[in-house]
Amino acid sequence: MNPCFYWIDRPVSFRPGETIAAALLRAGIADLGAGGGIVPGRVFCGIGACQACVVAVLGEGAVEACLTPARPGMRLAPPPSLGPHHERAGHE
Amino acid sequence: MSEQAMSELPILVVGGGPAGVAAAVSLAEAGLRVLLVEQRERLGGAIHRQPAPDAPQIWRGPARHRRNWTQLTSRLERVAARIELRTSSVFLGVDGAGRFLCEDRRAGQVFARPVRAAIVAVGAVERIRPFEGWERPGVMSAGGAQVLLKETGRPPEGPIVVAGSGPLLLAVAAQLARAGNPPLAVLERGKPWSRPKALASLMMAGPQLAEAAAYATALALNRVPYRLDSEVLGVSEAGQGLAIRVRLGTVERVLQARQLLVHDGLEPNRVGISLPAPEADVPVVLAGDGREIVGADAALLDGQRAAAAVLARLGRAVPVAALEAALGKARAFQRDLADALKSPPTLPSPETMICRCEGRRYADFTALPAEASAREIRLMGRFGLGACQGRFCGPTLAELRGEPLPPASPPRWPLRPVSLAALASFSMDQTET
Repeated sequence: MNPCFYWIDRPVSFRPGETIAAALLRAGIADLGAGGGIVPGRVFCGIGACQACVVAVLGEGAVEACLTPARPGMRLAPPPSLGPHHERAGHE
Repeated sequence: MSEQAMSELPILVVGGGPAGVAAAVSLAEAGLRVLLVEQRERLGGAIHRQPAPDAPQIWRGPARHRRNWTQLTSRLERVAARIELRTSSVFLGVDGAGRFLCEDRRAGQVFARPVRAAIVAVGAVERIRPFEGWERPGVMSAGGAQVLLKETGRPPEGPIVVAGSGPLLLAVAAQLARAGNPPLAVLERGKPWSRPKALASLMMAGPQLAEAAAYATALALNRVPYRLDSEVLGVSEAGQGLAIRVRLGTVERVLQARQLLVHDGLEPNRVGISLPAPEADVPVVLAGDGREIVGADAALLDGQRAAAAVLARLGRAVPVAALEAALGKARAFQRDLADALKSPPTLPSPETMICRCEGRRYADFTALPAEASAREIRLMGRFGLGACQGRFCGPTLAELRGEPLPPASPPRWPLRPVSLAALASFSMDQTET
């Protein structure tokens, strides 16, 4: 059985060596949520340049899903503190 | 620092694609120490991107690229003792003290090292001509889709449309077809037949023409239509997928697809990289597509040219006339290609998002005073200052204003998100600890 990480509460399995982005897309998760911003995140440029696929890793920080190898047990969510509405993020 | 201590410092090379690796190898072969930093787990860059350990390799690429990369990596192995390779390490920028900061994402640690010189070879970013809905999930850059395809060996599921302009559309479409999911259509905005002169010069290019013919054959075998003078007008959500409004010549239609891959050419990835004066103590040289879009073949030569520039600064001039001549040919090819596919700018609709990071639309841009300064465009308009630092709206803003926004000065670093924990475990020089 393939290892898995969690997108919010949903388990997402991945193949060893795969990036977070590849695993999310294969699971049909294209909309990465607006988080603290106003435009939903999504995998776009694949090279860490556009920052649209930045996800929050619980206990670590924010990383580009397209660059970051998936690890078993990681807990991922839309980043709460990116975009123009970051000042509100703490109250929502 | 004494001259001897200085001479023992490495040359930093940022970026492990053909230009960066060629630069690193050339410097190491000349007897210098090199610190080579690459953001992914494996070297290769966009062109020589390697599949993940267990993933199938669906497309091995043109023979000349494979040969070039095999030769380069075997040279790399011979001088490996002089090259410190840091993979999974992201270049964050240059701090106020002129230190080059990188984050080792595997170790969760930011590091800076005193270096003798730096070569920045971070490749290209794709240009995107915005249309209504381009910011939606399901729309991806063609290059981004290619990264996933090369690394996983699997195409995305469901119907795909590929649109925009440039040779990458052909390449990605052919690779998708080979991987088992040929796109519904490839829409190229350009009208090369209206530019016979540029087209005629392109016909003189040997290897690139053969490569294009191989892609065209793959598309023909899979009955993928390649439509010229065609473009996406807008995208909206439709059930599980996308409704893509397109113009095919003079006819408008709606295509239903799961994915839309867009691409309108390449720009050097220059954001946040400030170049000191040429005579600075620590020279910084750009190489490859990150300096000028020259293509994969010429990126190898440009890496060597950058290494030669660093060696010249260290008093060891090497002849570069042959390199410059070959680069001139690559430049002419890129110019002919751009000419052949050139299309007039299209004015975005008011609802078209220009800056995805900050969610700013064309209507927000036109609401700015006509004489708005670059500072006002950034601070009042909130264009060109989001998380991507203007890499994607930059070319659009340049077209709309008639001139590019000047780079932020001083550059904003970190260029990438970095965790406080990684900053807290900052290391100045791991060789001294």
